Amino acid sequence: MQINLEKKGEVSVFKVTGDIDIESAPQVKKTFDKAITSASKQVVINLQEVSYVDSSGLATLVEILKNMRSHGGKLKLANLSAKVKGLFEITKLDKLFDIAQSEEEAINSF
Amino acid sequence: MTRGDFKDMKTTIDNDSHLLKEVSKKLISTLRAHKVREDIIFDIHVGFEEALRNAMIHGNKQDPGKKVVVETDIIENAVVISVEDEGEGFDPKKLPDPTLDENILKEGGRGVYLINHLMDEVKYENGGRRVVMIKYFNKNANK
Repeated sequence: MQINLEKKGEVSVFKVTGDIDIESAPQVKKTFDKAITSASKQVVINLQEVSYVDSSGLATLVEILKNMRSHGGKLKLANLSAKVKGLFEITKLDKLFDIAQSEEEAINSF
Repeated sequence: MTRGDFKDMKTTIDNDSHLLKEVSKKLISTLRAHKVREDIIFDIHVGFEEALRNAMIHGNKQDPGKKVVVETDIIENAVVISVEDEGEGFDPKKLPDPTLDENILKEGGRGVYLINHLMDEVKYENGGRRVVMIKYFNKNANK
């Protein structure tokens, strides 16, 4: 699992590669906890290269969202595969998160 | 259906969450060998790992002295998976609904919910210590 940060204007775009699951969730949380305090208030997480998420991964993304909100920031998710998006829909987390079809759409929607 | 149509696996594993992925990879690779659709494998992957995780963490409470018994039967059009722990059991009906407004921001509580929605049939037996899940290969996946 790898996370790369790219600044696109005022927006910080995090690209995650690999699974977000019971094994990687602690690392994902740690990375975002550190990064969010120094990143901009507008954050996109691009999940194009994430093919598997479990309940630990969903929980971690919820924690990241809460952390962003507590820092006065806005978080958007982009490029979810149909199956990963399906998990958000089943758990109704699609109502909690702003989910964009593409990174560009997410950036332009702030 | 003859016995030759089954692909059986019964394994007893230590209560070590690091073994979770190993067992899961074995099942996924068997499903791929049976040419099961990837969208169906995704649902089984999530459902199976959630059941294993629940057994190890919530059932056996991460006790390294306890075991988890996993049985998988691949039949013509479905996989039947059983995961049993040595914990105190639980009543799945008493679990809070993680999709309700008061629970949606909570960290945990989505594992059983995902199992129930991703698998086609789910039964809890032996006081909640064993979950038996069936996923059909020829039905639509959840998404």
